Amino acid sequence: MTISHHPPEDLLADFAAGRLEEAHQLVVGVHVAGCARCGRFVQAIEQLGGLALEDIEPVPVASDAFEQVMSRIHDAPEKRAAPTAEVARGNEQDVPAALRNYRIGKRRRIAPGLSMRPIELSGSGTARAFLLRSAPGSRMLEHTHTGTELTLVLEGSFSHEGGRFGPGDFDYGDDEIDHRPVVGDEGPCVCLVAMTGNLRMNGLLGRLIGPFVRL
Amino acid sequence: MIAAIRALDAPIRAKAGFPRRLEARLSTGTSKGPNTKVDWADLIGRVASTREREAFKRLFEHFAPRIKGLMLKAGCSSDEAEEIAQNTMIAVWRKAGQFDPATAGAAAWIFTIARNLRIDLFRSRARADRLRGTSELPETPDPAEPADAVMSRVQDAARINSAVKQLSMEQSMVVRLSFVEERPHPEIASLLGIPLGTVKSRIRLAMNRLRDILDEEA
Repeated sequence: MTISHHPPEDLLADFAAGRLEEAHQLVVGVHVAGCARCGRFVQAIEQLGGLALEDIEPVPVASDAFEQVMSRIHDAPEKRAAPTAEVARGNEQDVPAALRNYRIGKRRRIAPGLSMRPIELSGSGTARAFLLRSAPGSRMLEHTHTGTELTLVLEGSFSHEGGRFGPGDFDYGDDEIDHRPVVGDEGPCVCLVAMTGNLRMNGLLGRLIGPFVRL
Repeated sequence: MIAAIRALDAPIRAKAGFPRRLEARLSTGTSKGPNTKVDWADLIGRVASTREREAFKRLFEHFAPRIKGLMLKAGCSSDEAEEIAQNTMIAVWRKAGQFDPATAGAAAWIFTIARNLRIDLFRSRARADRLRGTSELPETPDPAEPADAVMSRVQDAARINSAVKQLSMEQSMVVRLSFVEERPHPEIASLLGIPLGTVKSRIRLAMNRLRDILDEEA
């Protein structure tokens, strides 16, 4: 897998610092897990986090904090938290391993050749995350964004004026960008998408299907 | 001011009237400072292998107040910061066996645990659960990592360490203040006594430089 499109550095640094909202954290995290180059960058920021932790002015913890911690260690058995999601596991070929701890909703058809599956998040952020599947060779509708869109290609490819995006490639779109992606012919294109705001489809068909894209 | 910071690079000079805290912050912090004489990685190893309470206590006394300090800096309430500090130390005890000194420094490892617990706290709050209401620590789902990626991490560790050290002190500081402590740019500007525009450009330069160094050594 040759990755040629990476998240911008400040997004990676925010990811490493744990500052991104959940949907963005997920998309950047899946990219980083598969991209050694960005993984190194994130680790470098984590090193700086460690240095910051060493240098920070200590603030006293509760006077009995150590005893509390020891008793909680001894009271609670050492078990891994059981995964909470029971939906969408096991027999699902198109769900990448990195998403296996998330609850993923049923496939919904948006338009001919275009379907999506919502990813259940905690609701702590404002962006939504979903898997978007497009048929090979399809021309996505011309659209603009009211917010930002982070896209990670999991399978297949698409191209737009910014270049060709294959597996592992990361694409960042905001309301300045007018997308008109074309899906590659080699197979369906599956993307992990985090989106704030709404897609604004241009044209009559876009207006017809627009509401479905709102999840 | 920049010249002043450079002068402080020589540790002795820092005593000249500089606030203690900033002096500490301006040290490189890389296993030379007064706080890092203790081999924290070794203590974590002892917690892992023999469940040694004394080793854990030393880790606790060093790191718990620092985690609390960092979380307060990053905008947590006092209760949240205390909770994250305690939960981080519980996780240090439980996950000590997973710590690999070849891939990460002790402080960086503990930083990532605290970071994940803070993320969990915000998410569980969003789910209207109380963290303390559940006996087990919720886990942030980690993106799955293939075994060969773990191997390459070991090989990368030295490279990453050297890249971080190649950042100038001003660059390292500005990244830490902005991303780790989450201070707004105007605050960083007044803290370092530099114009706002310089803060922004310095962050950008630091990011690019880090990326370049890491790419060069690839």
